[in-house]
Amino acid sequence: MTSTPQPAGSAASNLAAALDQLWTRFLPEIRNRVDLLDAAATACAANKLSTEQRDAAQAAAHKLAGTLGTFSLDRGTDLAREFELALASEDTPCLAVANRLAELAAELRSIVDSRKDGASPVARADSEMV
Amino acid sequence: MPRKILIIDDEDDIREVAALSLESIAGWEVVTASSGAQGLARAIEHRPDAILLDVMMPGMDGPTTFRELRKNPATDKIPVLLLTAKVQSSDQRRFADLGVESVLFKPFDPLTLADQISAVLGWN
Repeated sequence: MTSTPQPAGSAASNLAAALDQLWTRFLPEIRNRVDLLDAAATACAANKLSTEQRDAAQAAAHKLAGTLGTFSLDRGTDLAREFELALASEDTPCLAVANRLAELAAELRSIVDSRKDGASPVARADSEMV
Repeated sequence: MPRKILIIDDEDDIREVAALSLESIAGWEVVTASSGAQGLARAIEHRPDAILLDVMMPGMDGPTTFRELRKNPATDKIPVLLLTAKVQSSDQRRFADLGVESVLFKPFDPLTLADQISAVLGWN
């Protein structure tokens, strides 16, 4: 049987540093996903959102919802989830949600751009222990 | 002997964070796959103690991969935990009905992911 050691000391610090490195490495891809949401919101406002663009934006929002909270951006997960759900119903006219989609995309971009190294949950837990 | 976990997820960031978390916090050995088909091959090759399986993947999705794992005598006993960002209750019921050990949700906390898996599988 393998027990799960509690994260402490250097193991936790190393995890925090490694998570920050992963964030930096994946940031371009994460920004690309936000770009897709932005483009979909713009197309929606012009009533020109194609099915392909809707599907791509929904997939991007889904991935952002799964990823951002893992990097301790919980608000980002909530916003991405709202974006995904707003596009989920094809019965909802795009124009009706266009403004909200634009707001969500803008706030998501701001959250992604504002994440600093050391924002990982491990780093937070370490600082709370001090 | 450390536990061995197979992570099957098409998203590089999620796969790498989960692997990092399980390796550094729990000291487990981690094998990864970026598709359902690759995951099936890795499961047969490595015989992991458990599989963390993403639901939404292009090509062979998580539920299909799970059913294939169950069809193969080499992998049919390996516990499988689904990993999903879907939060709607209808989805959750559908996943639970598949017969997996548990459904874990994205985003996960890298600090506690190993504990979650251990708790589900009775490894504590």
